[in-house]
Amino acid sequence: MLSPERRTSMAERRPSFANFSGNSNHIDTLMVPHLAGIEDPLPETTPEKVDVLIAGTGLVESVLAAALAWQGSNVLHVDSNDYYGDSAATLTVDQIKNWVNRIHNSKNESEPYKNAKLYISSSNIGPDCKYASRDFGIDLSPKILFAKSDLLSILVKSRVHQYLEFQSLSTFHTYENDSFEKLTNTKQDIFTDQNLTLMTKRNLMKFLKFVLNWEKMPEIWQPYADKSITDFLFNKFKLEKPQVFELVFSIGLCSNMDTKVPLALNRIRRYLVSYDVYGPFPVLYSKYGGAGEVSQGFCRSAAVAGATYKLNEKLYSYNPTTQVATFTDGSKVTVTEKIIMSPTQAPEGNKHVPEQKYEVNRMVCLVEKDCKEWFSEDESAAVVVFPPGSLKSGNKHVVQTLIMGSGSECCPQGTSIWYLSTTESGVRAEMDLDAALEALEISIIRESSEEITNDNDIVQISDDGRPIINSVRLGQSFKEYVPRESVQHLMKLSYTQLTSTPPFDVVNPALFDNDELNNRANSVNKFIPNASDNGIIYTAMPSSEISYDEVVTAAKVLYEKIVGSDDDFFDVDFEDDDNDAMPTGASVNGVINYENAIEDDEEDIQMGEDDSNEFVGEMEI
Amino acid sequence: MLQFKLVLLGDSSVGKSSIVNRFVKDSFDEFRESTIGAAFLSQTVTIKDDDQDVTVKFEIWDTAGQERYKSLAPMYYRNSNAALVVYDITQADSLEKAQSWVHELKNKVDDNNLVIYLVGNKVDLTKDDEEKRVVDRDVAEKYAQENGLLFNEVSAKTGEGIQQIFQTIGENLYEVRKKENTTNNSNMANRAHGQVDIQLPRPSTNDSTSCCS
Repeated sequence: MLSPERRTSMAERRPSFANFSGNSNHIDTLMVPHLAGIEDPLPETTPEKVDVLIAGTGLVESVLAAALAWQGSNVLHVDSNDYYGDSAATLTVDQIKNWVNRIHNSKNESEPYKNAKLYISSSNIGPDCKYASRDFGIDLSPKILFAKSDLLSILVKSRVHQYLEFQSLSTFHTYENDSFEKLTNTKQDIFTDQNLTLMTKRNLMKFLKFVLNWEKMPEIWQPYADKSITDFLFNKFKLEKPQVFELVFSIGLCSNMDTKVPLALNRIRRYLVSYDVYGPFPVLYSKYGGAGEVSQGFCRSAAVAGATYKLNEKLYSYNPTTQVATFTDGSKVTVTEKIIMSPTQAPEGNKHVPEQKYEVNRMVCLVEKDCKEWFSEDESAAVVVFPPGSLKSGNKHVVQTLIMGSGSECCPQGTSIWYLSTTESGVRAEMDLDAALEALEISIIRESSEEITNDNDIVQISDDGRPIINSVRLGQSFKEYVPRESVQHLMKLSYTQLTSTPPFDVVNPALFDNDELNNRANSVNKFIPNASDNGIIYTAMPSSEISYDEVVTAAKVLYEKIVGSDDDFFDVDFEDDDNDAMPTGASVNGVINYENAIEDDEEDIQMGEDDSNEFVGEMEI
Repeated sequence: MLQFKLVLLGDSSVGKSSIVNRFVKDSFDEFRESTIGAAFLSQTVTIKDDDQDVTVKFEIWDTAGQERYKSLAPMYYRNSNAALVVYDITQADSLEKAQSWVHELKNKVDDNNLVIYLVGNKVDLTKDDEEKRVVDRDVAEKYAQENGLLFNEVSAKTGEGIQQIFQTIGENLYEVRKKENTTNNSNMANRAHGQVDIQLPRPSTNDSTSCCS
C-alpha cells in the first residue's frame, strides 16, 4: 500500500497533472513527469536542506537516487571521487593508477579494497606511446545483463536505456581438459552436437524442460532441497559431468560444487529464459564500460528529475541530532530523512560500517590480442568459466572470466580486456587466478596461431567412430602445442574487494536493519560516542555476482526504508510512452512468461516418439 | 531521417535550458513534432538539398544541472555531433567561462567534425538599455572565428535567432554526413554490429499477443 504520508511524486506535482486531476479520465494519460532539471531555473548554491543525502555513485546508490528523485524526494548525491561510478566505475589506465594509490593510502578503517597490485607497460601506454590511457575503460565491477532481468525492466521503464548502447554476448566457454568447450545451450545445439549420446540428449532435454517450471514440480527437487546441484543433476537426471558442469558453472554461473538446488535452479533458468528474448543470446553488456555506464545513466536520470550532483565531495561527519552533515570542504547540509552511504565513502572515524567478511578476488589484464577466436561473429565479448578442479592450481572455486574485445569500445583494436574473478580467498585465490590467466594465455596463443589453418585438423574421430568437431578452433590435437610467443600484457591489476554479501547470494535486507545484526555495532538507532557516522545507513559493496541481479533488489530495500513502501519505485510514465510499445519480453510488470527456444515447438525435437511423461533413467514425474 | 546528438554547455543561469525550451516547445512550425521524454528532448528541423526536403532530428542533451559542480559524466559528451556553448551577454565573466567549456569539449570529444555553436544569450535585455551589455559582440565573434565555431547572439525570451541556430547546425551536420558517406561508407555499418535495441524484444514465433494491439 502507498503510505498516506508519502511524498507526492514528480508526476503528481507536475502542473499538467494538477490541472486535470479533477478529471479522472485524464489522470492516467497525463502522468508526465516534471523535468525539474530541465524546466526550472536551477538554484545557484548547494542546497541547504535535502530529504536524502546519498554518498557514492555506485550502481545501487545511483539506481536509488534516480528512483527517489522521480518519486519526488529532494536528493543530494555526492561522491568523494572526481568520477562517477565509485565501486562500479569504469576507469582509464591513469585513473586505475590513482585508484591503486588511493587504496594504499586509505585512512578508512573499513576500506573495502586491499592487496591492490598494478603493473603497467610504460613503453606501451602513456604519452607518445602506441596506446593512450584513455583508450581503455576498465570496470572495477565487470557485469553482464541478462535479457530477462529486473534491471533491464527498470532500464526500459526509466528510459535510462536511451543513454546506453547494448551489445549481445552469446559465447560461454567452459574450460575442461585443457580446452574450451563452447556451450551447448540451445535445443538445436543439443541435437546437432555430435559429442552427445542419444541418452544424454534425452536426459538433457528432460532437465531443460523441468527447470523452466521447477517450482511446480516439488516432487522432483524437494528430496534434494538441501543437497548440492551437482548431486541432483548426476543422480536425479543422470547427466554426465560435462553437461553438469556446463549447466552449473557456465549457464548457472554458480561459484562451487555445493550450490544448493533451488538457488542453482533459479540461476540456470535465468539463463534459459533470457535466451532469445532479443535474439540468440542470453546476455547483453553496455558499450564503453559496463556498470560504470549504467550508474552514470541513472545519475543523469536522477539529475533530470531534480537531484543535485557534486563530485569530489566527501563527508566529514554527520550529527543525527541536528541532522547536519558536514563535508571535508566545510560545506554543510541539513538532511531531513536519511543518509545512504557506500562503505567506500565512509568518513574517517566511522564505527558503523557493516563487517565485510567475504572476499572477491579480481584480476584485470589488458592484453595485446584481439581474442576474436573466442567471440561469435559480430560480437566482441565472451564468458569463460573455469569449473572447480579444471586448473593446475586444483581450484575449489570457479574462476569466472569476462573477455571484452575492442567492439565494446573499452579498448583499442588489437587488444582486449580480461576480467577474472573468484570467490576463493587469500593465497589460494591468487594461485587460482594466476593459473586461469596462464590457461587463457596458452589457449589464445594456440588458437590465434597462424600455423593452424587447416580445418581438417580440428575434426577428430573418437574411439567409437563418431567425428568430434570442436566448436572453437581448438581441439585435443593441439594439446601438445608449445607456444612460441607470449601474450603482451599492457596492464595487469589484481585486488581483493570485500563485501558483506555472501558469494552468489543477493543482498541481505537485514543488513539495513542494523539492529538485528550483532556483528559490529552497526545500528542506525544506536549512537556510538565519537563515531563520525552515527545514523548513517551503509549500502552493501558489490558481491561476486557477475550479473546485475542484486542491484534492483538492494536499491528497492533501501527505497522502502526511506519512502515506506516500494510501490512507486520507478512509477513514472513518460510523454513518449505511446510511441514505444512496451517490451513484451522484459517482464516489466513482473509477469514472466517462460517462453523460449527450448520450450516451444517440441515436435522438431528428433527424439523418436516423444512422450513427455517418459523419462530416461530413474526419472519419475 | 538523420539523427544527431546535440549537447548543451555553459555555466548555470546563462539560459541554456530556455534556449532549448524555446526551440523545442515553440509550435511555429506545425509540421515539427517534439517530444519530452525522460532522457532528452528531441526536435526536428527541415533542410533543403536541391529542392529535396531532408529531416534532421536532434537528440538534445541538457546538462540537467550536472554542470554546476563540474560534475558532467563522460557519457554526456560521448558521441555528440554538435554542441551549443552558451554565455550571457550581460554577465561579465560568462564569455571566459564559455571558452573554458569549449576547451573542455575539445578535450572530451574526439571528433574533428564536431560542430560547435557559440551563443550569446539575452539580447532582449540590451534592446532598451544597451548599458546592460558587458560582453562585446566583436570580441565573441572574433574568438569564434579563430576557433572555428559558429556564432550568433540570440534571445530565448523573444525567440530571436533561436530557430536559426538549429537550422544552421542541421545544415552543417548534413554537409558533414554527406561527405562522410561518399568517402567512407563502412563507418556507419560497423557501428551497427552486434547492437541490440532492448526496447524491442524479438517477437516470439508462437506468441499470439505479440503482434499488434
